[in-house]
Amino acid sequence: MATVSKRKADSQVPPEESDLLVIRPLGAGQEVGRSCVILEFKGKRIMMDCGIHPGLSGMDALPFVDLIEADEVDLLLVSHFHLDHCGALPWFLQKTTFKGRCFMTHATKAIYRWLLADYIKVSNIGTEQMLYSEADLEASMEKIETINFHEEKEVSGVRFWCYNAGHVLGAAMFMIEIAGVKVLYTGDFSRQEDRHLMAAEIPGVHPDVLIIESTYGTHIHEKREEREARFTGLVHDIVNRGGRCLIPVFALGRAQELLLILDEYWNNHPELHDIPIYYASSLAKKCMAVYQTYVNAMNERIRRQIAISNPFVFKHISNLKSIDHFEDVGPCVVMASPGMMQSGLSRELFESWCTDPKNGVIIAGYCVEGTLAKHILSEPEEITTMTGQKLQLKMSVDYISFSAHTDYQQTSEFIRAMKPPHLILVHGEQNEMGRLKSAIIREYEDDVETNIEVHNPRNTQSVELYFRGEKTAKVMGSLAVDPPQQGHRLSGVLVKRNFSYHLLAPSDLSKYTDMVRSTVSQRLSLHYTGTLQLLHFFLNQLSGDVEAIDIQGKKALKVFRKILVIQGVDMVTLEWNASPVNDMYADAVVTVILKADSAGISTKVIPPIMKLDKMHFTECLMEMLADMFGDEAVSKIVKGDRLFVTVDGKSVSINLRNQEVKCEEDEVLQQMVTTAVTKLYNSLTPVKV
Amino acid sequence: MICFRCVECVNKSRHNSENFELFTLDDVDAAFDKIIQLKYNQSISLKGKGQGISVTPLAAGHMIGGTIWRIIKDGEEDIVYAVDFNHKKERHLNGCVLESVTRPSLLITDAYNAAYNQARRRQRDEQLMTNILQTLRNSGNVLIAVDTAGRVLELAHMLDQLWRNQDSGLMAYSLALLNNVSYNVVEFAKSQVEWMSDKIMRTFEGARNNPFQFKHLQLCHSLPELNRVPDPKVVLASSPDLECGFSRELFIQWCTNPRNSIILTNRTSPGTLGRQLIQNPNQCTVTILVKRRVRLEGAELEDYMRKEKEKELEAAKLKAEKGGDMEDSDSSEDSDIEMEVDIVGKAKHDLMMKTEGKSRGGGFFKQAKKSYPMFPVREEKIKWDDYGEIIRPEDFMILDINPTEDENKENREENDETLQDITEVPTKCVAVSQTLDINASVQFIDFEGRSDAESIKKIISMCKPRRLILVRGSPTAIDSLASYCQNSGLVQGKVFIPKLYEWVDATTESHIYQVKLKDSLVSSLNFARAKEAELAWVDGEIVMVEDEYLIDLEKEELKKEKEEVEEEETGSRELIPTLQPLPTSLVCGHPSMFINELKLSDFKQVLLRNGIQAEFSGGVLYCNSVVAIRKNEAGRINLEGCLCEDYYKVRDLLYEQYAII
Repeated sequence: MATVSKRKADSQVPPEESDLLVIRPLGAGQEVGRSCVILEFKGKRIMMDCGIHPGLSGMDALPFVDLIEADEVDLLLVSHFHLDHCGALPWFLQKTTFKGRCFMTHATKAIYRWLLADYIKVSNIGTEQMLYSEADLEASMEKIETINFHEEKEVSGVRFWCYNAGHVLGAAMFMIEIAGVKVLYTGDFSRQEDRHLMAAEIPGVHPDVLIIESTYGTHIHEKREEREARFTGLVHDIVNRGGRCLIPVFALGRAQELLLILDEYWNNHPELHDIPIYYASSLAKKCMAVYQTYVNAMNERIRRQIAISNPFVFKHISNLKSIDHFEDVGPCVVMASPGMMQSGLSRELFESWCTDPKNGVIIAGYCVEGTLAKHILSEPEEITTMTGQKLQLKMSVDYISFSAHTDYQQTSEFIRAMKPPHLILVHGEQNEMGRLKSAIIREYEDDVETNIEVHNPRNTQSVELYFRGEKTAKVMGSLAVDPPQQGHRLSGVLVKRNFSYHLLAPSDLSKYTDMVRSTVSQRLSLHYTGTLQLLHFFLNQLSGDVEAIDIQGKKALKVFRKILVIQGVDMVTLEWNASPVNDMYADAVVTVILKADSAGISTKVIPPIMKLDKMHFTECLMEMLADMFGDEAVSKIVKGDRLFVTVDGKSVSINLRNQEVKCEEDEVLQQMVTTAVTKLYNSLTPVKV
Repeated sequence: MICFRCVECVNKSRHNSENFELFTLDDVDAAFDKIIQLKYNQSISLKGKGQGISVTPLAAGHMIGGTIWRIIKDGEEDIVYAVDFNHKKERHLNGCVLESVTRPSLLITDAYNAAYNQARRRQRDEQLMTNILQTLRNSGNVLIAVDTAGRVLELAHMLDQLWRNQDSGLMAYSLALLNNVSYNVVEFAKSQVEWMSDKIMRTFEGARNNPFQFKHLQLCHSLPELNRVPDPKVVLASSPDLECGFSRELFIQWCTNPRNSIILTNRTSPGTLGRQLIQNPNQCTVTILVKRRVRLEGAELEDYMRKEKEKELEAAKLKAEKGGDMEDSDSSEDSDIEMEVDIVGKAKHDLMMKTEGKSRGGGFFKQAKKSYPMFPVREEKIKWDDYGEIIRPEDFMILDINPTEDENKENREENDETLQDITEVPTKCVAVSQTLDINASVQFIDFEGRSDAESIKKIISMCKPRRLILVRGSPTAIDSLASYCQNSGLVQGKVFIPKLYEWVDATTESHIYQVKLKDSLVSSLNFARAKEAELAWVDGEIVMVEDEYLIDLEKEELKKEKEEVEEEETGSRELIPTLQPLPTSLVCGHPSMFINELKLSDFKQVLLRNGIQAEFSGGVLYCNSVVAIRKNEAGRINLEGCLCEDYYKVRDLLYEQYAII
């Protein structure tokens, strides 16, 4: 369903040369949770996120990683610290054969450590079902490398860098470039600037493939100002009427945003100063230092403010260690986790406050079906407590979404800015995703200039795209002195490094690269008892140009002009500079020497070394030409090494020394005679190289 | 950001003692808006005139944010600007990454340290430690002259760690950081952890405690504040050259007492007091100019007042002439007053911040719920007194007050007044020449955080620049480094030593153009691996092909190269040089090449792995005692042996080490 511009797949092509790009969600394909997307191109395999499904437990919660070989993954990129994006990471790093490299931003790494430690503690499943232990988590920290926003890294030819995603602190969108093809993975992102995070950046480069989240599908969010005003108004109302305000939130991420809003609101409303705000989460307290430190990953406002005072040092908010430290006397605001009131402190507080109509609860995040938070949104008459008791629900219930996911407006704007030829939707519930897909297709229906292919693969289903491999090489140095012209010939060394090609003259190699040319010389000794003359004779049969020379008083032969054969006592030594051709010559010489050694021919019977007899050649030539053109055509006299032949009144001159044939009148004739002369010459002379 | 603070501090400290009118704080702010922030390894491509040039900062060590700049033209010609780098890992910073830059076409570096070798870090640390301990035990004070925001972090971090160490016995003494912006410097350092060393990162991730959340280091912003820190104490004060700032003031105060100790950490520029002391360690007296900002008094004050009045009148006149009505001039006066208030507020704020910082030390949330010392009365919230200053109750809300601080409270208020006076009352600068006896011990301990001569040479030999420009450094240092680089063959091309204002023509004839490779060509190639690259010999012929398919990037690059292409219409057809294979009949052979540089010791490992006995003897590697491999001076490898199977086995393995094309 998802193949574009199909080309005959060549099974011969090695993976690094193939043009096929495969994107395969192993999780978060038409679902929310356990994000994990695999990208394969040019023999590189990259995994983006490795989360768990919050609704499932144990091995079931993992993405379908059994469909790939963990040791083949070169690179693992984690977008942010939410469990559905990094929850399976310790397992993947510690319990599989993964040996690639893993990257995340500094803030993500710092929070990941504490968030998962908390997750291990609260997940109350049996130890045998646990995917990993605290020790595994600790060990996995060693394997995670950090990357700064905009910092470019390269791992085995894959170049990647990240942009601010605006979802939570440290959330990143990864741009990955392999062999010139760019893929952008947004992770979760939000284009709306809020109190501490900046809006997701719009990358300056256009990706060829955009993998984008679709959590909110075609929904459109309420404006930030309205939303905040509604929120603070509600809180104010509740405390004004003498009630207690409960805000169940997830410990990290949006909670910090709410804290900033409340702290600022309290600051501006001195009349509220005696109403305490409590924040009950030890995890958040642990991670507050991270928020106070990584202000550089936040927005301009915070960065400016840090010059004066750290906004994450709250003036009006106190931390609450546990419910035992809480004196429930009069109006207050309490933020407590978990966000969906499944259990824990937020549930306890809810149960003790829900019967008083003065109190109020504000649900501030995304709620999953089946949780208490989702249930009370339907405004039931009564609720069931953890102990099974029925309680009347009298307190006010409100829902204000502070979720920092992109909505349709932002998504559409983002896609319009990116104009990717291929769009892949992940991280969205099936129906939402379908709606988003059709909405985008509709948006670009009448647009002839942009052609966007939208894919929404299910888990484990691959999207196959083809990118024509455009290979360009840079010609540099002395090879590039002349500008390129039609028919210009280039010979040189092609250096291929991480999908980039450079063409250099061999002499420039050390100038432009760190590579060095070297020479290897060889000396091979072998047993030989015969005489050098005998060897000379045999070698002459192999190659016509054997030279007898003297090297430091030793007799030697030079064969093929490359191989030196030096005679020693009962042996000969071969010397040559190694190269494939010379090695072959040397092998041939060795064979001849072995043969000569075993032949046992005495010196006397060695036939004289054949030499080219010039007279003999002239005679043969005359005879041949007479056979070709008739006796009359060939002149019988040789004038200064020149022989003349007259054919049909056209005179051909043949130079006997260099076998050059000249005939100004007839080129065909000249060619014919040249061929004949050369062939005759070659057949009469000994072999030469 | 750090630079900002630094400039600000310099400005302030100058202001305290002399008239400084080169630029104002507003200029600093304005300049700051024009600066583009980059992360390490973030490339930025220049637009317009600089088209085709991309700039990348690389970590340089030395100071937080220290950068080596890499400027790349068309992806090939790279110029590296590296001065003041430090390749060694420090407590708070990673070493520079210059080694990873290979074969830049031009390296610009300094010879500042080319004739200087520093002691080992451990030794320097010990020296500092002993000096501090001895002085403190003698109940003397230690002044460490450092810069405002860079190297001070290394020292502050180191000393705070030392103080934390139970065995060091330093807990009883005080440690203070004194400069105009010490609070800000430390706050900034806290938020810059991701720029620091891996070790700091790890401790932060692991333990969540910010390494710059100091336990023992007290932050001071003025001398009176410092006076409240009990003696004996160690004070980190700026500036390092003792020419201005608190370090100079403390030096004047302390140098006469033989029990005190003064530690200089930086060889500052020649001519400064700091440098003078380093060069003449046995100097007994020093004559220095003591500059001070004093209030105008008597006639001078009257004169000043009159002038101010005239100015004001003139300004008002100007306004009126311009046609501004009364309201306008009123508002300008208003703003004047506001400005003044602002200044007062600032001075005050600076002080208050300190107490805030202290109370924050323990926790990040408000600590106790019932901690309001007063019943909140609304009228008190916004109160303007006769002097026009706002008193905010929060400023006085001190949570965990140390008893000592309580005692000092009155003191402080007095000080506040004096401080305010200085800013409000017209002042002038006076300079008095004063001769001081130096009785205190003066010692130079290198905490500059720069690579020394030996390391610089090593680093240059690793990155093998094609050409080199040397700047900054004494002539002898520059010459020695230049001759070293040339004689040892590290730099193949030229070494330039430009003088001030001298132009260097470092143009290279770089010929470069792009060709497209035909698939048939690429598939016909036999690639051989060498290091991380693959090599192949190519025999090809250029054909000019019309092609409309061009990815943007390519188009841009081509545009640059072909300047003759005048107009680029989108979708226009361009001639692309394309390389196609030569027909085999036309290919003339080429001498084959062995590419790579073999290390015999590495090759020994290869042999052993393949079950061949290998042993070194007199620089010759003997394999299975029948084949010998030696390397001569020219780097030529010689393989020697008699005809046997091992010979060919070893040869095959040897060939595997090379890319043979």
